[in-house]
Amino acid sequence: MSDPEGIGTLTGPSLPAHLYVHVPFCRLKCSYCDFFSVPVEDAEGVEAVLAGIEEEILEWGRARLSGILDTVYVGGGTPTIIGPGVIRILESVRTSLPARTDGEVTVEANPDSATARLVEALAAAGVTRVSLGVQSFDDEIIGLLGRLHTVEEAHVAARAVCDAGLDLAIDLMCGVPGQSLRSWHCTLEEGIETGAKHVSVYPLALEDGTPLAVAVGAGLVSSPDSDAAADMMLLAEDVLGAAGFERYEVANYAVPGHESRHNTAYWTGESYIGVGPAAHGMLDPETAGASGVRTGVGTDVARVRYSNASDIEEWLQGAGRDVETLSKAEVAREDVMLGLRLARGVGARIVAAAGLEEQLRQLEAEGLVELAGGGVKQRWRTTTRGWLLGNEVFRRVWLPDQ
Amino acid sequence: MTEPRLIRNFSIIAHIDHGKSTLADRVLELTHTVYGRDMKDQVLDTMDIERERGITIKAQAVRVMYDADDGETYQLNLIDTPGHVDFTYEVSRSLQACEGALLVVDAGQGVEAQTVANAQLAMNAHLGVIPLINKIDLPQADAERVSHEIEEALTIPGEEAILTSGKTGAGVRDALEAVVRRVPPPQGDSDAPLRALIFDSYFDPYRGVVGLIRVVDGHIAKGMKLRMMATGVTTEAEEVGVRRPANQPVEGLGVGEVGYLITGLKDPALVRVGDTVTLAKRGSEEPLPGYREVKPMVFTGMFPIDGDQYPDLREALDKLRLNDAALVFEPESSHALGFGFRVGFLGLLHLEVVKERLEREFGLDLLATAPSVEYHVRKTNGETIVVQSPQDMPDVGSIDRIEEPFLRAMILVPPDYVGAVMELAEGRRATFKDMQYLSKTTVELHYDIPLGELIMDFFDQLKSRTRGYASLDYEYIGYRESQLVKLDILLAGKPIDALSFIVHKDKAYYRGKTLSEKLREIIPRQFFEVPIQAAIGGRVIARETVRAKRKDVLAKCYGGDVSRKRKLLEKQKAGKKRMKAVGNVEVPQEAFMAILKVDE
Ligand SMILES: Nc1nc2c(ncn2[C@@H]2O[C@H](COP(=O)(O)OP(=O)(O)OP(=O)(O)O)[C@@H](O)[C@H]2O)c(=O)[nH]1
Ligand code: SF4
Ligand SMILES: [Mg+2]
Repeated sequence: MSDPEGIGTLTGPSLPAHLYVHVPFCRLKCSYCDFFSVPVEDAEGVEAVLAGIEEEILEWGRARLSGILDTVYVGGGTPTIIGPGVIRILESVRTSLPARTDGEVTVEANPDSATARLVEALAAAGVTRVSLGVQSFDDEIIGLLGRLHTVEEAHVAARAVCDAGLDLAIDLMCGVPGQSLRSWHCTLEEGIETGAKHVSVYPLALEDGTPLAVAVGAGLVSSPDSDAAADMMLLAEDVLGAAGFERYEVANYAVPGHESRHNTAYWTGESYIGVGPAAHGMLDPETAGASGVRTGVGTDVARVRYSNASDIEEWLQGAGRDVETLSKAEVAREDVMLGLRLARGVGARIVAAAGLEEQLRQLEAEGLVELAGGGVKQRWRTTTRGWLLGNEVFRRVWLPDQ
Repeated sequence: MTEPRLIRNFSIIAHIDHGKSTLADRVLELTHTVYGRDMKDQVLDTMDIERERGITIKAQAVRVMYDADDGETYQLNLIDTPGHVDFTYEVSRSLQACEGALLVVDAGQGVEAQTVANAQLAMNAHLGVIPLINKIDLPQADAERVSHEIEEALTIPGEEAILTSGKTGAGVRDALEAVVRRVPPPQGDSDAPLRALIFDSYFDPYRGVVGLIRVVDGHIAKGMKLRMMATGVTTEAEEVGVRRPANQPVEGLGVGEVGYLITGLKDPALVRVGDTVTLAKRGSEEPLPGYREVKPMVFTGMFPIDGDQYPDLREALDKLRLNDAALVFEPESSHALGFGFRVGFLGLLHLEVVKERLEREFGLDLLATAPSVEYHVRKTNGETIVVQSPQDMPDVGSIDRIEEPFLRAMILVPPDYVGAVMELAEGRRATFKDMQYLSKTTVELHYDIPLGELIMDFFDQLKSRTRGYASLDYEYIGYRESQLVKLDILLAGKPIDALSFIVHKDKAYYRGKTLSEKLREIIPRQFFEVPIQAAIGGRVIARETVRAKRKDVLAKCYGGDVSRKRKLLEKQKAGKKRMKAVGNVEVPQEAFMAILKVDE
């Protein structure tokens, strides 16, 4: 947990507890996707990236920082598309960096490449969790999203994950043009039936330059309706809630105890390493210095965020890394902003320390946030309205002098 | 100094875009005044905004030396004028410094409204008018039809027209020969005390006010002690020169000559356009006929989007006024928009140009309210007040009657579109006066119309309903009583003064309703519901609602998304800067102009 009081009283460089590895390959681009990934073309291309990832992990190992990994997340892209390559990555983590024995190890998978054989091999390699990109149990919606699997394949893959004894997480998408509330309801029900203990619900966002955004721009597809998305998000909370899932973040539901520890780190100000092209990492300034991520020195730097080059060639040459620094005050606001994504919210003392009480009081008057708990346990959290209108809340927290 | 018999002074006048500035280019070339690398299209249009929009806004005087067919070299002082109706005063000023005018008519477009209006100005000033049928290189050129129109509309014999092309240069020499032969040389008394007309001026940050002058009697030379007859200021001729087109100092200027005068005076109010320059001692006692002061016709509130820019806006307006006597302004404050200025303009193009210059040259971010006219309000207590801003309109109870400015409008249009024009005019409270066929292809219509209706997108509507064929000119004819009411707009229950407007009572309901609908489309959904109401004196006549936004959240926010998301929020906030927070409602700038578009 981040401790606002602790910022500044740094204890020397340390190994972050979380590691993200980006596998930049997909079979084909989905119509809405703007993640960094390229189609797999040849074995050499994959091999080069794998070698690069191994090297980057090894470098962290060579830094010999004190600390121990708690979570590993292999995402993408579609990691399962490189099959055994994922196991090589996990192997390289295991041999280079100290990790907890009860760590959380997640691999992202798509239904068409998560075969039973691969899933079993992953389990054997120490994976504890598979996040399956199901998106919908309606073939029409899957088609519009430009995804390459079928409802049938999603069921088969989900079964394989459960059979291998792994924690299953699924992604579902709502607010898709042409998606009815009914189709969405069925998708939720079918999702619950897969045995997943974790469900992420994403309203479709149109990203500039994606084929879907172009089609909407050209009038070929109607634009996503935000009111419909709101209805679907509310329905998701009801349906999943009835099945024992709790919404613990804007888009994430879990059966208690099955929350993603890795993702929770992103919202609670914990450091993480990002490996692979376009991967992002977040470090305290001392660790950033010790690991060579940040070479310059500046005053009032309390947090360092970096992103690797979104270009495989550039990344392989170790070039094109973007480094962003945040001041102490910025870190405090960022922590409140991210903390308000969580259903449990953020401690009132943290808000006060960030100098944001006035903003939160105003948001409270407007019905977007509320105070819960009492005494030292008092926490600010979003109301249902504030959850759906998060950007209004986040903007006023991040940029308070409006 | 040149003898008057070898001097010819003329303006180039025309409807907008008929090719005046391009012809001036050819004259400058033919006389070797500008050539080679210095030559570019419409070289006399020097302001950025003129070059970008391809129109002339400010008249430009230039001297050229022309070797005529008779073996003599003539000094020609030509003034290229703007064609847009907003800047007609530039044409009338220029004409007073001339004995002749080249009236340019586009061989494809034929006679249009400002062709007629500007030709009349020249004829009323007793100038020799030489018609040119220009752009004869165009495939759609129809010299015969145009010549017929010139005869009908302007009563100038069609055979006097010279065929020219500013593009190819054809006929340009013929036009200059006609100037030499048909425009009379200037007349004046070289022995009398100096009298020179200041027909234009501009402000030079280093030299002060530069007056453009035309010597009528006597002569002016560097070092002379001078007196401005209207303002009574005495000063000295620091520099006298001619424009070719760059300033070129000369020893002096004699009878009939045109040039510039620098006195070192910095205040434009002391070197006034229309004033007569004479000698400080033993000068003339009889000033030249000056100009009628130009009066702004439309008014708008200009507010800095960022309130901190208020002093900058004042400074910028002060600076622009140095070069633009037609610009007037005074402070205005609005509940909704804060502190700003009520600014008066000659017309909508003038408004647009000034706003653009303020934003571009001075880095201001401005919000302009819908243009309004000046109302004369007779109150029940006998008092008469002048209202330039709808928000200043007194209570209905205290008003006896309201008068508004009327115009006589002249519309030239092909016969096929007469119906469309009549329909539009009828909807705008215009009274039909008369109609005349100028040719088989052009009809001239006259209407009396309230200026308040004309500024409501009338011109764009006229153009679109006549496929661009109609042209419009107008002159102010006076104030008339009308049944007017003030319509208020309320957002989230609060009246927004900057959205109020004055409307004829018969149209109040329709405009209130359509404006509310327009605002509903323009105002983005906020995270709360925004009711829109249109009301007259507290009575609500129309109601709309901007529904509350229900979902606006970035659902995916993992490692790399955090920075991206923060940037997005920053961008969104910057986007809001282009809106005005009125109460807690974010209102985009175009909302304040929406009233202009309600008759679409
Ligand atoms: N084909 C052809 N085009 C011409 C000719 N003269 C001007 N043009 C074009 O007509 C347009 C208007 O020309 P200008 O010279 O700027 O017209 P203007 O009368 O000075 O316009 P304003 O000053 O704005 O009233 C430009 O696009 C010119 O290139 C010509 O003789 N032939
Ligand atoms: S599988 Fe995932 S990463 Fe790959 S293109 Fe589709 S949405 Fe993007
Ligand atoms: Mg011009």
